[in-house]
Amino acid sequence: MDLPPLSKDQLSAVLTSSRSPTELFNTLVEYEYEACLKSTPNSNESELLSLFYSTFFFAHLLTDQIYEARAMTQRMPQDLAQTDPSLQNCLILLRAVWQRKYESVYKILRELPWPDRLRPAVESYETYFQEKTLREVSRAYEAIRPAAAANYLGLDTAAAEQGDPAIIQKFTAVGWTWDGNKKLLHPKPLPPALGKDVRLYDEVSEIMALVGKYGG
Amino acid sequence: MAEYLSQLTSVSPCLHTSTPSDEEDYDKHIRDLITYLQQPNRPSELSSVSGYLLDNLDPYLHSLSYLSVLHFKIQSVQGDNKTRLSKQVCPGGELWIKAVRLLRGFDPFQIRYAGHEWRQLIELVIQAAQAVSKPLLAVSVVRDAMLRLDPSSEVLTSVHTAFMRLTLIARSYSLALPILERHICHFPTLTGQAYQKYHQPTLCGEHESSMTFLTDGSGFSKKLTYRDHLQFFLYGAMIYMALRKWDRALHYLSIVISCPVTNTVSKIMVEGYKKWVLVSLLGRGMLVSHPHLASSHVIRAYKALAKPYTLLADAFEKCDFQRIEVEVNAARSIWHADNNIGLVQQVMCAFSKRMTLRLGMTFSALTLADVAQQASHRPTSLNEVESLVASLVMSGALNAVMLHSHNDDDKTTMVRFCSTVELRCFQEHDTREQIVQDSQLLDVVGRSILYANRGLELSNENFLFLQKSMRWSDNPEKGSARALDELASGIDIEEDIMGDTH
Repeated sequence: MDLPPLSKDQLSAVLTSSRSPTELFNTLVEYEYEACLKSTPNSNESELLSLFYSTFFFAHLLTDQIYEARAMTQRMPQDLAQTDPSLQNCLILLRAVWQRKYESVYKILRELPWPDRLRPAVESYETYFQEKTLREVSRAYEAIRPAAAANYLGLDTAAAEQGDPAIIQKFTAVGWTWDGNKKLLHPKPLPPALGKDVRLYDEVSEIMALVGKYGG
Repeated sequence: MAEYLSQLTSVSPCLHTSTPSDEEDYDKHIRDLITYLQQPNRPSELSSVSGYLLDNLDPYLHSLSYLSVLHFKIQSVQGDNKTRLSKQVCPGGELWIKAVRLLRGFDPFQIRYAGHEWRQLIELVIQAAQAVSKPLLAVSVVRDAMLRLDPSSEVLTSVHTAFMRLTLIARSYSLALPILERHICHFPTLTGQAYQKYHQPTLCGEHESSMTFLTDGSGFSKKLTYRDHLQFFLYGAMIYMALRKWDRALHYLSIVISCPVTNTVSKIMVEGYKKWVLVSLLGRGMLVSHPHLASSHVIRAYKALAKPYTLLADAFEKCDFQRIEVEVNAARSIWHADNNIGLVQQVMCAFSKRMTLRLGMTFSALTLADVAQQASHRPTSLNEVESLVASLVMSGALNAVMLHSHNDDDKTTMVRFCSTVELRCFQEHDTREQIVQDSQLLDVVGRSILYANRGLELSNENFLFLQKSMRWSDNPEKGSARALDELASGIDIEEDIMGDTH
């Protein structure tokens, strides 16, 4: 399928119209060829390339491909990566996500200057990161202090420590219980996102047929 | 020019709902076209009007003609100069664009007749992308062309090895996964085997296996050597290492190190062994047992040639961090020379993680202070330890849960290591996925066995036929070769039992 030429407007359109992170990622994979062709030492398309690689970087994070995201940062034009503020922010974010520095991740996403066209990707990633972390924390802890839980989700830790009802409510809304006497939250393990379950069940049910076919 | 065009458009894509006789007609048309293209003066004639022809030929409808004209044109542009590429061939150039257009949309049935030209075009695209230091430009083009020609990718060719190398240079590791995740289990079929004379399928037909057209004489692969085979799996392992898929990397490396040898091991195998040691420490936290296929003298050779690696593994397994540091520092020049310094650094970083994971095998619960004391090789704050343990638990590497105490003064955190039963609900999904992967593998193996049995005449049909032949043994003149010919040509043997003998 021939894609429309790579442009800032086209990138924005792809970013807003993609129905899933995977679709966004797959479209941008196709565009990397064109971006690579456009990247020359004296390219006057640095703004477009910066937006492309930043968006592509977030598409990696949104599909949980952190190792490949790192490889992408090594593939992008290095002269641009060293001077462009948006790509510099991406590298700082990558380090924080890699090292699981939760507080820093939220700080980078919320406080560093991101281009307006990239905002939808930044906001999507913040939501994704929060949901993913909530699932992981709910599995990792049986009892957790509100401040620690708030830190994982980028919420106000001082208010959480004081037992702020608004913050506690965010956790109880997903099935956690709040022990006011002990001032501890008791997470309820959340099941992992099982997007491929139906396919898996279908395929497992075919195995016996397969064994029967070749078993003789 | 119009005359050339009419000749070149004489073959269009075959409709694959046709009968065997249609396939034979189509095969004949294609071979006629090839004869026309191979006439001595044809390259210069077609090359001189290549612009017009390439603009009027459709890369899908007339793939064979398009490829041939493009090939002639590239040859005329390049001349005898094999190293310096013309601008037209380099990325963005006129011929590059046409080559990419063809490789992304050719008719795989027509291209089966032009293996040499197809491979040369692939190699040229790889060379051109590397010449402008943009190997990425060739990665998806080559991968898509490989899968277009052979969607199963079950036959190893020299293009596979070149593609793996290209993805490593381009650092586009995940783009190689569609090839690596397919099960390669054949080399190009050797032509001229005795059994093949009974069954010579047409190239343009629908075949169960790509082995039918990916033969040693097809031109789709250079002559493969043991080195190409080893390099493919070594590169594949390196791609998995970059993606931190240690188990897959270990599997690929085990193929490299257990390759059959007569008396000496190759340098690639030794390189594979060195990486295999480090990857097994990273993936499993210990030196895993050697593949059963590797003979003892080969393992002895590896150990002698990779001494610093085995010493490092020994220190790691004995949980002696000081010795690990000594071994790493002593052999620093070797890690650099072997290009394994990155893996060695990861091994050092993985030490605390590995120690923490081991605690779960001994204790059922510990405080974080105890974890720090038992697992940390240097003074570490409790916050750091909690961060490490939490990351291990949250990533699923450690089966444990953490509990904060409710005492405000004493902020103790307890780590309770779980039995596998408690985590069953979370493992269920992974297990199901593993079963599905194994079933796909079984499917490939099953199909390959059926295909091989048929080729080697070991299928049930052949055994039944042999039984019948034995019953005819009282008639010595009825040779089995004659009967096999009849079977291959589809003649009913029962009806032919009274046929003439010769």
